[in-house]
Amino acid sequence: MSWREAIRLSNVAFIELSLQAVYAFRQGNVLPPGRSKNLVARSRRLVLQSKVVISAVLALLTLGAVAILHEKALNPEILASVPAGLFQSAVLTGLLSLDIALLWWTGVQVVPTLISSGVLPVLEPLPIDPRTFRRVASILYLRLFDLPALTILILTPLAVGAALGPLAGLAALPGALVAVLYALALALLTGRFFLRRVQGSRGGGGRAVVRWVYLVLWLVPAFAMFAFITAAPAFFQALGALAAQGPSLSSALLVAAFPFSFAALPAIVAGGTASIAILSPTVDLVLGVAVAFYVALAVWSVVWLAGSVRTLLFLPVRTPAHLPTASTTLRPTGRARAVLVKDLRIASRTPGFAFLILLPILDAGALGLLTYATPAQNPAAASLALGAVTTAALLATFFGPAFFAIEVVAYSYGRSLPLSNQSTILGKVALISLMYLVAATLIVGFTLLRFFQPFTFVAFVLAELPAVLGAAFFELGLLFRWARRRGLAITNLYAGAWFALVVSIPGLIMAGLPPLLFDLTRSRGTDLGLGIMALVAVAELALAAPVAFGRGAS
Amino acid sequence: MVAASSENGSVPLSLEGLSVAYGERPAVQQLSLTVRPGEIYGLLGSNGAGKTSTIKAIVGLLRPVAGEIRVFGLDALRQGLEVKARIGYVPETSMLYEALTPREFLEFVASVRRMDAMIATRRMHSYAEAFRLEAELEEPIATLSNGTRQKVLIIAALLHAPPLLVLDEPLNSLDPRSVRIMKDVLLRYVASGGRGVLFSTHTMEVAEQLCQRVGILDRGVLRGEGTLAALRERVAAGDASLEEIFLRLTEEDVGVRAAVDSLGDPSI
Repeated sequence: MSWREAIRLSNVAFIELSLQAVYAFRQGNVLPPGRSKNLVARSRRLVLQSKVVISAVLALLTLGAVAILHEKALNPEILASVPAGLFQSAVLTGLLSLDIALLWWTGVQVVPTLISSGVLPVLEPLPIDPRTFRRVASILYLRLFDLPALTILILTPLAVGAALGPLAGLAALPGALVAVLYALALALLTGRFFLRRVQGSRGGGGRAVVRWVYLVLWLVPAFAMFAFITAAPAFFQALGALAAQGPSLSSALLVAAFPFSFAALPAIVAGGTASIAILSPTVDLVLGVAVAFYVALAVWSVVWLAGSVRTLLFLPVRTPAHLPTASTTLRPTGRARAVLVKDLRIASRTPGFAFLILLPILDAGALGLLTYATPAQNPAAASLALGAVTTAALLATFFGPAFFAIEVVAYSYGRSLPLSNQSTILGKVALISLMYLVAATLIVGFTLLRFFQPFTFVAFVLAELPAVLGAAFFELGLLFRWARRRGLAITNLYAGAWFALVVSIPGLIMAGLPPLLFDLTRSRGTDLGLGIMALVAVAELALAAPVAFGRGAS
Repeated sequence: MVAASSENGSVPLSLEGLSVAYGERPAVQQLSLTVRPGEIYGLLGSNGAGKTSTIKAIVGLLRPVAGEIRVFGLDALRQGLEVKARIGYVPETSMLYEALTPREFLEFVASVRRMDAMIATRRMHSYAEAFRLEAELEEPIATLSNGTRQKVLIIAALLHAPPLLVLDEPLNSLDPRSVRIMKDVLLRYVASGGRGVLFSTHTMEVAEQLCQRVGILDRGVLRGEGTLAALRERVAAGDASLEEIFLRLTEEDVGVRAAVDSLGDPSI
């Protein structure tokens, strides 16, 4: 059979994949009321919308990078010491890193859905030759990333071309292509890891810890984005120092590192090797070897992807050896707590959820540690710590859609139990508050060690808590009302990025408003700022609670 | 008369004029039936007859477009949580939290049903031992076979010893040993008095062995209801099997013969 046949089959399979991604029938969701005719068209539209949202984010990143290239005087003090070519290479390195991170993160979210949808095993009994089958699997996998990948491949050369000239734009294409291929390979590799090591792992306390440690891996792409943005000024300072040194071992290591090797190419085409200031014949050679190595690795990735996609889609979850279970007991708890425990357990074995839960905690750890880079009495250190608490609160607002998505799994069974929406929402809001408090406690712990103003921090954390609760009640209340009316399952990023976004924005505003008011008013006194903050947060909670518990919520 | 009996708190289940639809498409039309105390009621029907839709409406997964559902006198549409607390439900497909282990899943169910820890643990072990599930209690559900998942669902339905069991094709995927155990469990279950079982199946032998009364559903409409003897009398077939009664009541007996004849020789 031909490629044409493979494309035809993959079209059919992708329709099923879209349907499962949105409505999750294989995961136990029920047919939504009154909309059965348009389900397929609707799910295809939602998946397309989600791809457009992700592509738009990638496009914004690219345009942002180009704006920075145009606006060379972003920070004159730092950039004065960084030569133009080196600066351009650094910005493109950042862009390519973010492209890989976002594409990989997308893969982390959607690959488990591709596997659980079981679209390829349905085709297996049909008389399709293995080569066509492999092609179908590869096309299906590529279609998960098509629009976002095309955005990177088309927009990066165009944007770089607009900023540095057409030839430089052309020189940006290899970097973009290699970045896309690496992201696709990483997504597949981590998807396989998830199936082999995470989903198949057993229950029990000790093993749960191991599973959480495994899951930190899923945070890498998301955290890489965050870390890159946070560390950008320090990175430019280091580059300035490197340029002052001239060609050296450090500069050879820098050009050998991916994606700097590819990011340097457009800068060299635009301004010559002198514009980078750290190149020499030896360093040039290192750059050439590095580019050749990364291209060879990309080619190998393509071959590996083609061979591995099919095995991934058929990979059985590993069944561990049976162990004695004589001590197995049930410890029933209250309903809301049962929801909390269930969500934590599911999240610990599901990458898409786990990374969201861990993100505020890691963020708190990282930002808390960053305060140590600033002298204790410096007001900037205190602001950084308060900013870390605010970030944790803002990140917690993403939990609403994530925990709602957990509820969609086995939704129809869950709905047959005597469990009200209110109990479910309470359990989820308790978990969201817990995550916020753990992250905030971590930051307060750091600040206590440094002795800033511990009471201010504790008061700040507590004043913000009603706003976090309010945002969570609002988001979950809205999502449960939506689900009841429309029967929509938001199971992952591709199932309805738009819906998650729509409820997250008001949630972000609710969580962000009290700290903003504190910032605006604290010049008139910290106590006044904290008082206003707490007042607004409580008012938000009072306004949001009826969305979750009011008429029409259950 | 019907309304009075349906509000009777001792009647495990009564449906009155129940209609369920998916958009414009009706799935169940004006269905009325009663599951009496101490009775296993078999809901029979071909694929797409409306059995699962009826069951989903009873357990609160689908909202009927018309009609009344009462469980021990409680209105399922208005007192949903109280009704769900009295039902043990086994769905047609194994819809479980795959990331959990059976023990974690049962713990969640026991929590939601506010069970005592000792009773829940004892029942879990009794059923797990009977169904030979002990070794899998700490394995992720994602790694279990369909039959094993079905056993987990059955245990979850029986865990709180509900007065009404609503079972949608519960014997699918079970091995013969487990089928036998399940049949015996159900017979003992209703024998203890006051309890009722609504049992959907399209396997006539199972219905003949287990059910005191059956209802035959065809394209969303109840074509016949009663004991096997009453149904035989109705179709005027003295020694007919339930399968023959079913085909006659659904007017498929002629259709089946015609369909087989039209197939001709399978080797051609």
